[in-house]
Amino acid sequence: MKRNTIVLCAVLVILAVFGWAGWANWQYRQQTAEKRLASVAKGELVPDPSGGGLKYLSPFIGKPAPDFTLQDLQGQKVSLDSYRGKAVLVNFWATWCGPCKVETPWLIELRNKYAAQGFEVLGISTEGDDLKPDDKAGWVKQKAAIAKFVNEEHMPYPVLVNGDSLSRAYGGLDAMPTSFFIDRKGNVVAAQMGLTSASDIEANIKKALAE
Amino acid sequence: MLRSIKPAGLVLLALSTGIVAFAQLIPTGGQNRPAPKSDAVQYLFPEQVRVAAGKSTPVALHFRIAQGMHINSHKPSDEFLIPTVFSIPDSEGVKLDSASYPGGDMITLPSDPKTKLNVYTGEFIIQAKLISPAGNHLVQGKLRYQACNDSQCLPPKTITVPIDVIGK
Repeated sequence: MKRNTIVLCAVLVILAVFGWAGWANWQYRQQTAEKRLASVAKGELVPDPSGGGLKYLSPFIGKPAPDFTLQDLQGQKVSLDSYRGKAVLVNFWATWCGPCKVETPWLIELRNKYAAQGFEVLGISTEGDDLKPDDKAGWVKQKAAIAKFVNEEHMPYPVLVNGDSLSRAYGGLDAMPTSFFIDRKGNVVAAQMGLTSASDIEANIKKALAE
Repeated sequence: MLRSIKPAGLVLLALSTGIVAFAQLIPTGGQNRPAPKSDAVQYLFPEQVRVAAGKSTPVALHFRIAQGMHINSHKPSDEFLIPTVFSIPDSEGVKLDSASYPGGDMITLPSDPKTKLNVYTGEFIIQAKLISPAGNHLVQGKLRYQACNDSQCLPPKTITVPIDVIGK
């Protein structure tokens, strides 16, 4: 009887130690994620402490979205600032990016669904990272490829080019697709890197519309 | 109930339960891993080759792709995708006579099972034919590729492929 009591106590102590270790591990990862969010000058994917997936930490959450002016495929200048008063999804993509192609139909559907509430998508192509600014022939060829992709995918929203020039301003843009959800006041309320799901994107659109 | 279980067994059971529970909290990577911050493709070997001067000589160039990543083959399945290409700049002295690329594997992404992609994964070999003048030449070959994993793509990249070519 006495022996069993000792064994039972030992088992309970072991389980308590493991429980404490798990809790400490969770706490550590929470703190690490928060520290990274506070310190990174560029966005990065880190393990999500609340689940098994990855979370994109962007230093821009809660801050004004960096303004920009880029040309669309017709050569017209378009600035982010001109969309003030609307919720905007700034979606960095590329024609060579398979996951971008997967999410494009989702963006079209959601754009059409929420347009009446004051929502717009700005597709920003990041092609041409290896082109020099004065390489006119290269840019013409690149624009033609983007336009072909846009036509094939029936993208109804503005598509801007030379997005790679925004890389530093938007925290690196290390991988595509990368999206920033901006509220009507011009503040970033959410960011995603990599393919997620239509429901995740919709949740962030609602967040941008609600702010 | 407890009396029917040996104490050592009970301790073992508790230990294994604890280990399993603890292991759940350790990140495992897998398909959800972030794209690597270093190069997605690494040149393995050869570092040095001896070739007959002035004659086209076959050299097998070995590369390794980071785990969980893939790169487009030399002949991608879609016109928008960027092919893997090996080249040697004209200024290097040594010329690339020809390059033969592996066929690539057909894969589909979990998020897009309808689209087939022709890609390289793991290790792959490019059979290059080099023409070198006599003497030692430190060639800075170039491999251009574009890498993705299941959920994200990295921008196109060109890495240097250093080969010490000795023409005899």
